[in-house]
Amino acid sequence: MITMVNNQNNSTVQITLSNRIGYEKIAMACSASFAEMFGFSNDRIEDLKTIVGEASTNAMEHGNQGRLDARVVVSMSFKDDTICVSVADEGPGIGKQPPPPDIARIIENNEAICGFGLFLIKQLADKVDFTKKPDNGHVVHMALNMKAQADHAE
Amino acid sequence: MQNKNEVTLKKQGSVVIFNIQGDITSFSEPFLNQAYKEANDQGTEKILLNLEEGAYINSGGIAVLIQILAQTKKNNQQISITGLSEHFKKIFNMVGITKFADIHNDVESAIAVMSK
Repeated sequence: MITMVNNQNNSTVQITLSNRIGYEKIAMACSASFAEMFGFSNDRIEDLKTIVGEASTNAMEHGNQGRLDARVVVSMSFKDDTICVSVADEGPGIGKQPPPPDIARIIENNEAICGFGLFLIKQLADKVDFTKKPDNGHVVHMALNMKAQADHAE
Repeated sequence: MQNKNEVTLKKQGSVVIFNIQGDITSFSEPFLNQAYKEANDQGTEKILLNLEEGAYINSGGIAVLIQILAQTKKNNQQISITGLSEHFKKIFNMVGITKFADIHNDVESAIAVMSK
């Protein structure tokens, strides 16, 4: 289900996804179209697609733990040159966040392969927050400015 | 909605090229592992992963590729990758894959470098 809400100050699109791996590509495609409407560059659109895809996959696999009756809700809004995306699942959320993966240690078999999705989200998004919903659920909030990170980091 | 990969192996000089069709996700693991096993059993020393142009690669796929990198390091094999968009070149650099595999723009240039 895709819902669009427009008012003078911002524009919002909300997508409700069945909890099926592969459906994250629907959210990615929607986010790309959304960003294109506001003039985002191809580079930033690719960044957006990656963070939306990774957050949605995490929500399906870890948040909803693969439950087919669960849903993932992806909401996008645009304001002040920035797209804000939230990805909500029905799970309890992540407890302790994994440290950034160390590929050298992984290659040497000293570290489990995990945490790459969250790592990429943190690397590509300009802002990331996590909140718990009062009625059992978890939301990842991400913001991505239309300018490349290097251009607005100073 | 599990994606399937088709991996065909082609030997060019001393390099075995893995021509990989399809997205690279956690579902790619059995396909890539089987291809690696075949190449390794043949005593391959140089491997080129040639990804399909425009393929979707997510963190699950990155984890699968890192498993292959770990095996190539253990077996003293050289490995390179082609077929990446500029976005995924950036991603592979971010996660550190470029420390363990060379990235080339196309198969021809990869073969030229790997054959030296």
